[in-house]
Amino acid sequence: MNGSGPLLEVQGLHVWFDLAGGRELHAVQGIDFDLGPGERMGLVGESGCGKTTAILAIMGLLPPSASAAGHVLLNGMDMYEAGEDSVRPHRWRDIAMVFQGAMNAFNPVRRIVDQIVEPMELHEIAEGRAARVRAGDLLELVGISARQASRYPHEFSGGMRQRAAIAMALACGPKVLLADEPTTALDVMIQAQVLELLTGLTRELGLSLILVTHDLPIVAQTCDRAAVMYAGKIVESGPTEDLFHTPRHPYTRLLFSATPDLYGRGEVISIPGTPPRLDREVLGCAFAPRCDMAFEPCPSVVPRTLPVAPGHGARCHLNDPAMRSAS
Amino acid sequence: MRSADYVIKRVLFAVVTVFVAVTLNFVLFRAVPGDAVSALRCRACTQQFKEAERRELGLDKPLVAQYWLYVEGLLHGNMGSSLRTEQPVLGELWVPIANTMPMVILGTLFSIVIGILVGVTSAWRRDTLLDKTGLYTALGFYSMPTQWLGLLMVFFVAGAIHLPTSGIRDPTLGLLTHASTWAVIVDRLRHMALPSITLGLSLYGEYALITRSAMLETLGEDYVLTARAKGLRNLPIVWAHGFRNALLPIITLVALSLGTIIAGAITVEYVFSYPGIGLATVEAIDQRDWPVLQAIFLLLTLSVIVFNLVADLLYVKLDPRVVDQ
Ligand SMILES: Nc1ncnc2c1ncn2[C@@H]1O[C@H](COP(=O)(O)OP(=O)(O)O)[C@@H](O)[C@H]1O
Ligand SMILES: [Mg+2]
Repeated sequence: MNGSGPLLEVQGLHVWFDLAGGRELHAVQGIDFDLGPGERMGLVGESGCGKTTAILAIMGLLPPSASAAGHVLLNGMDMYEAGEDSVRPHRWRDIAMVFQGAMNAFNPVRRIVDQIVEPMELHEIAEGRAARVRAGDLLELVGISARQASRYPHEFSGGMRQRAAIAMALACGPKVLLADEPTTALDVMIQAQVLELLTGLTRELGLSLILVTHDLPIVAQTCDRAAVMYAGKIVESGPTEDLFHTPRHPYTRLLFSATPDLYGRGEVISIPGTPPRLDREVLGCAFAPRCDMAFEPCPSVVPRTLPVAPGHGARCHLNDPAMRSAS
Repeated sequence: MRSADYVIKRVLFAVVTVFVAVTLNFVLFRAVPGDAVSALRCRACTQQFKEAERRELGLDKPLVAQYWLYVEGLLHGNMGSSLRTEQPVLGELWVPIANTMPMVILGTLFSIVIGILVGVTSAWRRDTLLDKTGLYTALGFYSMPTQWLGLLMVFFVAGAIHLPTSGIRDPTLGLLTHASTWAVIVDRLRHMALPSITLGLSLYGEYALITRSAMLETLGEDYVLTARAKGLRNLPIVWAHGFRNALLPIITLVALSLGTIIAGAITVEYVFSYPGIGLATVEAIDQRDWPVLQAIFLLLTLSVIVFNLVADLLYVKLDPRVVDQ
């Protein structure tokens, strides 16, 4: 494996879903990003903007009704070109995942420990007793007593199951962890605990993390970098600090003010309007109808991503002097 | 400990159900207009003979007394005597039951195996040609009347592969020369083949449809996605995760349908003149032989209760959640 360079590269990723009646839904509309070793990136946006679809596309786990285009490179290997047989040995070993609603990530009729051991034995990380001991250690790591390892999923509370899901994701010592809204179903206090655990662990173990959430303040506390998605596209990405203090896309700014902070303080002001439907083509900027700063070109011209600062880009005509002077 | 509680609860429930079934069975046969003797098909019977017969059967006693007599008899394994042959009913039914059992078991196993294979494959290859073929074939057999299917077998299949179409043994076997045990077994199996296959074909469609829909549900669950993300191959995902969980609804429905299979065997046995419990039922109805009928009804009911109990107990083994409910 090549040591330098990004661990995960996503280039021009598109996903379409086949709908009834021959229509198509363009859920992910060309996203690009790199993830370096040990880097933590947030992927944020309102629900329905394509975050889960993008994550599943990266994992190669899209349902049969979906088709994807673009490139996903894991350690330089193009996962789409390599084919399932070449990708399979890397699953969970190099790239693991905590699912949205990980409540149901465990098979209800099998013991927790067996489900953590399963990928270890599959990828020959550990076997038999050693694997069970390792599973116990991982559970201890996420704050669950190893003595509870042989319980069934329904005997765990939601928070415990979520933590166990993190332990399961760490089973094979992956390099990249994708966490899709790992805390949505939990109450606020437990959300905070789980997030702290997740960031603490990724720091300690030097993991790269993509944290998907619709909660931007969580990203601010957790991630080095963030990408904001709207209607299938990344509309702004950059260092979290920059996004927080100097957002260059009105959507990012509104998203910050729309969400309460981690402890439920602050007002919830939701952004007026709803995201556009993705099953028909959108003219111009998809956010224009809801934007408080939209001007002439917005409804008709699709904005390009422009660099606005080092490592910081935004897809908004406001950052384009040519557009501003023309209007 | 909690699973012991569950088992005790289910067994008690089954016992109570048996008691209710016995009572209903008693009431049912008293609720018909007239009584057993007046329904007897013998024109030559004198009034005196009928009175004597009533006394012998205890029909002159009050209903409550009759009920206790009935229950007491059952507890001693006594289900009365056939009106036709005057032999104890259980002894009369023993041979047909022994004939039916292997035929039904063979047919059921056949239908369960085929049904599950077709259902799992259909779900896994959802919306492909394979799925549609499997689905419509299953639907076709499911909706085909059993006697019609049986007749098709007699006309088109039996001749092609030289299988007997009626009876349970070759009457000439062993007449002239001594027949080996092996030859007898082969002869029995050959006679069982068509009834079993007909029964199996008429049942497998239901199992295939149930399995398919249960599998579609489990294959869409998050833990199946987790299994794929872990790098498991398709086969272990489909069987160890998908089917293992789909098994729960499948078992319930198989247990429910097993209870009615013996009843379903009536048609098959009639078509193939197979001397089993189904043919015995038809005969008993024909002869108004109500002690035999009453015993058959009770046995059918008991088999439903037993199969349901077995399903309940299997659940303890298969689903850790039932015990905690
Ligand atoms: N299996 C699917 N079939 C059809 N459309 C889907 C499917 N999954 C998601 N979508 C659509 O794709 C878009 C993005 O969904 P999703 O990725 O779940 O968004 P998010 O995770 O950001 O909430 C939505 O419009 C959603 O309705
Ligand atoms: Mg989502």
